[in-house]
Amino acid sequence: MKKFLSLMLALIMVLCAVPALADVAADIEAGQAMTHEELVEKALAESGTFVAYGTTSRIKKAAAAFSEKYGIPQNSNNMKDIDIYDKIANENVDMVMIQDGAQLLGAIEHGILANFVPASVKDSISEHDQYPLAHQFTNKVFIYNVLGDDVPAIRNVWELTDPAMKDRIIFKKPTDEQVNMNFLVMLTSPEWSARLEEAYKEWKGENIDLGSYKTAGHKWIAEFLPNCVFGKSDTNIAEEISQETAEGKIGLFVLSKLRSSSVYAENLMPAQYAASAEGYEIKPFAGFMYPIYNMISTNANRPYTAMLFIEYLMSEEGFSFWSDSIGAYSGNSAIPEKEGDLPLSVWKDTLVVEDPEYILEYGLDVEDFVGPYLQ
Amino acid sequence: MEQTQTGKIHLSRLKGRARAWFSKPANIILLFFLVTLTVLTLYPLLSMLTETFTVHLGREERATKLSIGAFTTYHFQRVFATSANDYSWIQFYKPLLNTLAVSVTSSVFAILFGGVVAFLVTRTNLKYKKFVSAVFTFPYIMPSWTLALFWETFFKNVNIGLKTSNGIMASVFGVFMPEWFVYGFFPISLVLGLHYAPFAYILIGGILRNMDANLEEAATILKTNRSRIIWKITLPIVKPAMLSTFLLVFASSMSAYSVPVFLGSPVRYYVLSTSMKSLMNSYKGQAYIIVAVMILFGVAILMLSQKVTNSRKQFTTVTGKSGQISKINLGKANVPIAIILVIVLLLVAIVPLVTFALESVIIKAGDYSLSNMTLDFWIGTGLEKRLDQGDSTGILLNPVVWRALGTSLALAITCAVIAGTSGILVGYGVAKRRGSRLSNWVNSLSFFPYLMPSLAFGAIYLAMASKISWLHGFLLMALAGSVKYLPFASRSGVNAMLQLSGEIEEAALITGVPWWKRMLRVIFPIQKSSFLSGYLLPMVSCMRELSLFVLLVPTSDTILTTMLMQYSEKGWAQFGNAINLLIIIVVLLVNFTVNKLTGASIDKGVGG
Repeated sequence: MKKFLSLMLALIMVLCAVPALADVAADIEAGQAMTHEELVEKALAESGTFVAYGTTSRIKKAAAAFSEKYGIPQNSNNMKDIDIYDKIANENVDMVMIQDGAQLLGAIEHGILANFVPASVKDSISEHDQYPLAHQFTNKVFIYNVLGDDVPAIRNVWELTDPAMKDRIIFKKPTDEQVNMNFLVMLTSPEWSARLEEAYKEWKGENIDLGSYKTAGHKWIAEFLPNCVFGKSDTNIAEEISQETAEGKIGLFVLSKLRSSSVYAENLMPAQYAASAEGYEIKPFAGFMYPIYNMISTNANRPYTAMLFIEYLMSEEGFSFWSDSIGAYSGNSAIPEKEGDLPLSVWKDTLVVEDPEYILEYGLDVEDFVGPYLQ
Repeated sequence: MEQTQTGKIHLSRLKGRARAWFSKPANIILLFFLVTLTVLTLYPLLSMLTETFTVHLGREERATKLSIGAFTTYHFQRVFATSANDYSWIQFYKPLLNTLAVSVTSSVFAILFGGVVAFLVTRTNLKYKKFVSAVFTFPYIMPSWTLALFWETFFKNVNIGLKTSNGIMASVFGVFMPEWFVYGFFPISLVLGLHYAPFAYILIGGILRNMDANLEEAATILKTNRSRIIWKITLPIVKPAMLSTFLLVFASSMSAYSVPVFLGSPVRYYVLSTSMKSLMNSYKGQAYIIVAVMILFGVAILMLSQKVTNSRKQFTTVTGKSGQISKINLGKANVPIAIILVIVLLLVAIVPLVTFALESVIIKAGDYSLSNMTLDFWIGTGLEKRLDQGDSTGILLNPVVWRALGTSLALAITCAVIAGTSGILVGYGVAKRRGSRLSNWVNSLSFFPYLMPSLAFGAIYLAMASKISWLHGFLLMALAGSVKYLPFASRSGVNAMLQLSGEIEEAALITGVPWWKRMLRVIFPIQKSSFLSGYLLPMVSCMRELSLFVLLVPTSDTILTTMLMQYSEKGWAQFGNAINLLIIIVVLLVNFTVNKLTGASIDKGVGG
């Protein structure tokens, strides 16, 4: 009887949910082929408050400007990706700006989120960045304090595994922000392990001895993390490393934090900036990079508004809320990086970019492996 | 025929009994709260327990290779019995040991500090008593992270933690404290102990103030020396209060989250609550198991506490005959002790406020020169171009901050009204039917929310509300807050009612005064200040609550505390410090206004 009841309940839930999912999916299908004007018309015909959540704080400014432009009431907020998923599970959300591609692929697979590429900008987004749609890229790079005699101007990431670097590296705890963990996971991939092996040889002049480690990525993680101190937030790390009293320190944090007035930016140097200026390469990477994706929630009340907002965000006008500082790169290749910053193509070559498929497959094992090194 | 006759008689007797039972308001009240509290506390607990056997979206699904919602014992195996990569040790056993160490130490510290101060204030001729007793509850009224934040800002230095900058102690006074003093076990225990010391002060102080002087006087007549009197008479009398404090502080410290995060994380010192929070992001099932373990400890504590309360009956501490208690003359030690106490209290209660004010006006951390100061974070405009550190206007010119303050106050008042009124009713019901099973159940159920860690309580309420579409936002927060703070109100309600002699109400009953009039005109006025305290404590707690509401707010700028958390996560320290100061000032103002207008005070709420 109990089984029968729960079966019936599940059936009812599925029957109730399917039309909503199908509706939004059909709307997106139709929306992909629409012009800007058609999207506007459809969006204005929708009712209720447009709800958008994002992992970037500037979504609030962008949504407010969008709301003013089209006269659509909005409720937007900045929250962590995990809280965004909780929100979607419990209430109607229209659109999200979210990071952690692996978790996102799972959500798409379960029909929680759906991908949409606006026809008006499709041609200027690389095919790879269209699914899931990357709105922008954020880079976390090695940045060091330039004061004192012992400046950690690294040229090879294996230098960071040296016992002499103990407590000199500041990083955000990988379990506090999944993209940091994703970076570590990526290092165990065949591609990055091979590059790390090569870099090791260059550094030590001999072949790497993996010992009990599965890959060079595992070895690097195991020797890098014990040298780290974990900061509270990227802003906090930037502020702390920029202090006069922080000579000899190096951090791995968001490049755009250099813009903040609470940071003594003149005391800091992104390792890749130095490398580009002096014409050397940091072996084999200068940090990591991850996209922030634009997605439509399948329980959206205003799916066309969500599509219009995504189109807006992918435009130069919509990206203006991020483009005023270094460290933000639009997925739309027609929008250039901020003057004084390096172009996205350079960063893509020098940074570890997350591969959601690989993380989905091997992430759990690597996370377990990382655990003891966080203690 | 005869049988049906007997049946009818039986039935009518039953009906009569039922009518008599329902004619007593206390029974109806108890029944109502039994049902309501079962729905609002036991149901969430059960739904949480089912989550510990369920596969969730994301990692759990991938790890178990089962579909979402499927039954699994994977979470239990991971939390308790996974030796690969020391998983269980890292996620559960080690944090558990740390939690126990911190909770025991903070409880002992709270009792020592609170107890000694209570003794000095009630039983000696200490100077500056008024100041001491007024300021001593400050640390409890202030959000718990206040002291932790202050501790770090004040004592950090380039030799410890991030090893990047100096706090006030190092940069101004040139004193570099060692790491064990600034981060980890010691400061976490100390800060929690300081935060909860008012519990000890109120509970132990209450007994010391009211205890029968005859016992000590008899001993004095028999020429017993002072220290022997304290060891043989005073201490045994306050022992139950000390144990109650121990249990209360232990349970509170166990679920404390912000203090261990601020003072533990920089040196990789983790406790159960931090482990639970980090698992909540990726492995919900395991996080809920940790919550269940914390609740188990809580229940064990509750049972112990009930034993202790029962044993308290052996001591007749309040006889009504107690005359003037003889006060110990501290003599030459009086002034030094008083000065030390005042300095400690200033350090704990006033200096943090000054620090926050200072930190909210400096542009770059660590530079306290005038040229690095600005009021922009309070009253500036157009800041996105000049500072680019969060909002574009100072907090006092930001309508979002004012709206959040309004919502915080509205929420606090709503929770206080619901919890406070329920507390009085529960108190009435429990006291009237004292000793009955129904009364005991309702009494225990109304205390149960105290044992649930706030973060988990919020998470469960969010999940519960997902099935009820209209119950979101403010309503849900008000409901969760009212239930979570009911223990404070019900404790003071029960205690206030137990002090009332039944004759008072009976006199009104004989003259035919209806129940609601008896409550409003007779009972409430007599115990007014105790009841109002039952409103005040939920209100103050609600104003400074973060963990409970963090998942329930529609957006993080809905209330002040979640706004503060967002600012602090973003690293917008100055805005964060300004908002923190605003919260503290509002909470203190609310506390003092209510106190001055009605005579209610936190003391009565906590101690009951």
